[in-house]
Amino acid sequence: MAPVTFSNVKKSYGAVKVIHGVDIDIADGEFVVLVGPSGCGKSTLLRMLAGLETISDGEIAIGDLVVNDLEPKHRDIAMVFQNYALYPHMTVEENMGFSLLHRGASTAEIKERVDWAAGILGLAEYLGRRPGQLSGGQRQRVAMGRAIVRNPKVFLFDEPLSNLDAKLRVVMRGEIKALHQKLKTTTLYVTHDQVEAMTMADKIVVLNGGHIEQIGTPLDLYDNPVNQFVAAFIGSPSMNFIKGRVDGDHFVAGDARLPVPPGAAEGRDLVYGIRPEHFTLAADGGIEAEVVVVEPMGSETQVTMRIAGQNVFGTFRERVLALPGSRLTLNVDPADTHLFDAETGLRLPRDAV
Amino acid sequence: MKTDLSPRMKIALYGLMLILLVPFVFPTWWMVTSSVKPISDIFAFPPEIIPSRFDFSTYGQAFELQPFAKQYWNSAYIAAIVTGGTLIFSSMAGYAFARIDFPFANTLFMVVLIGLLIPSEVTIVPLFRLFLSWDMINTHWPLILVPVFGAPSVFATFIMRQFFIALPKELEEAARVDGLGRFKIFWTIALPLSKPALGAVAIFTFLHSWNLYLEPIVFLSSPEKFTLPQALTQFTDAYGGAMWNIQLAAATMTALPVLIVFVIAQRQFVEGLAHTGLKG
Repeated sequence: MAPVTFSNVKKSYGAVKVIHGVDIDIADGEFVVLVGPSGCGKSTLLRMLAGLETISDGEIAIGDLVVNDLEPKHRDIAMVFQNYALYPHMTVEENMGFSLLHRGASTAEIKERVDWAAGILGLAEYLGRRPGQLSGGQRQRVAMGRAIVRNPKVFLFDEPLSNLDAKLRVVMRGEIKALHQKLKTTTLYVTHDQVEAMTMADKIVVLNGGHIEQIGTPLDLYDNPVNQFVAAFIGSPSMNFIKGRVDGDHFVAGDARLPVPPGAAEGRDLVYGIRPEHFTLAADGGIEAEVVVVEPMGSETQVTMRIAGQNVFGTFRERVLALPGSRLTLNVDPADTHLFDAETGLRLPRDAV
Repeated sequence: MKTDLSPRMKIALYGLMLILLVPFVFPTWWMVTSSVKPISDIFAFPPEIIPSRFDFSTYGQAFELQPFAKQYWNSAYIAAIVTGGTLIFSSMAGYAFARIDFPFANTLFMVVLIGLLIPSEVTIVPLFRLFLSWDMINTHWPLILVPVFGAPSVFATFIMRQFFIALPKELEEAARVDGLGRFKIFWTIALPLSKPALGAVAIFTFLHSWNLYLEPIVFLSSPEKFTLPQALTQFTDAYGGAMWNIQLAAATMTALPVLIVFVIAQRQFVEGLAHTGLKG
């Protein structure tokens, strides 16, 4: 176990810059998730830490050791790949013991470590099988087993759940989290799925276009996104954005007037942000919205509505039985709202609002 | 591959295949049956599809007229060495072209591939002069060195490269993280997984060497050094007339190992070529 530090890390392929100076501090034993849309550089960062990509500039350190020029095998890391990358010609036992074997461990030691890992992951009865004879979830476990047998300083996960079906993904998500709680090994986990990021991470790093947009705990990012990108990326369904201006203690968009905290910046183009679950149904005197689509989920009702000619999405605990074309009256707590600069996308600080 | 065909379609297809079989089966049948006919019956008219008289002494005579056992051994050990050598060089070269970044890799690969375009008839005279200067004429060295470093090996390298390119890169990355160096990755991961391609390369390299004809007649002059295809031409009587039945007996013995290999390994051969992306 060890902390990991990225200091001003850059990566370019020829003239194309893909990572533009990234700083991340990962504490010992922390579970950090790199999340972002595809092409944001999250996998590249992970692979740079693994030693599978060179580092163009900056420094990556595991503990006190700068690993920039070290081969992967000298970095004491273990990686779980998106397609698992199990050796198809070896049994589960051989796959899991492979790295130990090539590090000169004794047969007895390998057996002990593999049995230990297989015990934790529930693979004991599959040790003699080959990867081709296993289900997707079992392969995923073998890939994890291969990582944990060595007791490395850092675990790296590169979109490990994206090849699984939705149900299994939820199960494996829980298993990875439970495994981390048991082993407490520093973990860097890459995903494009913000739900995985929210549910698993101690700390989330949101990346976009090779830049860090924001680093924070899941709820911190959810409640206090620094900009429109993070606000839109974190949370599902995504935050609603409505364009308009502040006039006194209201945000005016077309003929709609939405409540904002007092003292908001007046007179310039802003974007009003509100999460779907922060709309509540009001008896009267609230925001008028026209119902477009109603999707009952059982536990909640999702409603697509139009406010001031712009589509917004609401999630209600109540069962909304409105017909398309009818009108709903909504309330919003000003404390749940966000205001973003229309030009820069940055969120206006609360105290300035 | 499973396809649903109507019974009528099936019968039609099988009928077509039977017709297509004739040009392949008939010469083989003719070779085998004629090898046990008395020489006068071979060209009898109408031809005898099933021999009426049998004479198995031809098989013994093939060994008396020439050092046929020695020639058999020559062909076998040369083919074995060529196959082994080609497997080693083509897999390593193919792997390097597929996976290692080195300057001008693609250009170099093109240059290597051009070797396939040059017919062996064009290079045989320069090669003869080269081996003459190395004092290797009338030895088996040219028959080993030319295929291992020549066109057959180029083709094998191409097949191996295509195969290695198709192997998931993550497997090798996983091996790197697991602590392996380049050669160990090649040896313990890439090579064991390339068995289908290696099988295909082994079969066609062996066949190529076994059937080699031009090179032996150019480079070899003494009968005890001959390989089988060359030896087959030597079954003649004192006047240079072909001793058909003995020659065909020798031909049958020459073709036998090849047929056996094909029957055993045809699946692997087809799969190997399919794996390398060479199928149509």
